[in-house]
Amino acid sequence: MRRAAACLGAAVLLGVAAGAAAAAAPAFDPKDFSGTWDHYPAPTESSSKPAAVPGIPVPARVPDPPLKPQYVAAWKAERKKLADASESGEPIATGYTHCQPDGMPAMMMAMFPMEVLQTKRQTTIIQEAYNQVRRIYLNDTLPAIDDAEPGFWGHSVGKWEGNVFVVDTIGIKDYVRYNNVPHSAAMRIHERMRMLDADHFEDQVTIEDPQYLTAPWQWTWVYQRRPGYKMYEYVCEDNREYADPVTGKARLRIDDK
Amino acid sequence: MKSRSLLATLCLVLVAGNAAAHHSFAMFDRDHQILLKGKVTEFSWQNPHVYIHLQATDAGGQSRNWLIECANPGILDRAGWKFNVVHKDDQLTLVVSPLRTGEPGALLQQIKLADGRVLGNGGPAGPPTISIEDGKPLPAGANK
Repeated sequence: MRRAAACLGAAVLLGVAAGAAAAAAPAFDPKDFSGTWDHYPAPTESSSKPAAVPGIPVPARVPDPPLKPQYVAAWKAERKKLADASESGEPIATGYTHCQPDGMPAMMMAMFPMEVLQTKRQTTIIQEAYNQVRRIYLNDTLPAIDDAEPGFWGHSVGKWEGNVFVVDTIGIKDYVRYNNVPHSAAMRIHERMRMLDADHFEDQVTIEDPQYLTAPWQWTWVYQRRPGYKMYEYVCEDNREYADPVTGKARLRIDDK
Repeated sequence: MKSRSLLATLCLVLVAGNAAAHHSFAMFDRDHQILLKGKVTEFSWQNPHVYIHLQATDAGGQSRNWLIECANPGILDRAGWKFNVVHKDDQLTLVVSPLRTGEPGALLQQIKLADGRVLGNGGPAGPPTISIEDGKPLPAGANK
């Protein structure tokens, strides 16, 4: 009898503890990514220190791509040329100078806030910078690689594997590159997105390209909720920076009126 | 000096993160910031950069129309700006990093609005290194 009472007491205590834990960690729907998000750790637009949250590890930096040996030298030379130009105070113009958006996979680095909209048949991801829109069709099929019209965001399909949203993307234009890494028309971008808690989700990115890579190129991006944020419009309207037609360096158009 | 500049650059890259990946400010000399006082001739609130055209007299006594590059509306909004905080004919004081070419163009570091408020140019542009009040160097780490 006494043992039964002790057991009951322990059970009550456990119940209370479980209830407290549930209260501490608000419930969330692991399949609900909708809302506005920032890169994690927090961007530093108005403060000087990125803010990391206990329990949500800061993702490792994106590794160098496992390029085939014949492509490594050219890639490293291009990266060095860009870095040297910046170091010398004469940066080389980039796609941004020409108002070109990131495309995939770079848009998912979430340079600016990002909005996710979910409907039954489609998940839409909007990146504020350059008004980038990415449409992921659920339970649909991708076209054959040879039949996939190349674009900045390509063609994406998604499906749920448990609580993981699995997305496959093909059809990225040759010159739409992340970190200047070359790729072929056969490149596939595989993503596994999952909620880490009510206010964070991660995107595990895997790039496969048998023509250029010796192995899959993988990294993880993490996002944190930006509650109540209303996305800004972004039309690349009049960039006073331009590419010098001779040197390719970025310049500023001055009209000293 | 070189190593200090390199350290500053490194810190900025670490701090600015993704936004730095967006855009290089290397054409501007952030190690030699200057104070500009003048009158707004045009204010363009637009992407990919907001621009202030400022008729200002430089240290050599020459009056020129400066093109001041700011961050974009989204970054500035999140740093406390609004589309209507600057107006044509406003008298402004700015801390800027001038172009290395010597042309009258610069990157904004800090602005003192006509109503006296002082605003920055967002994280990616980095902090001012001189005082907007008197142009004197700020103590190292003053804006950390």
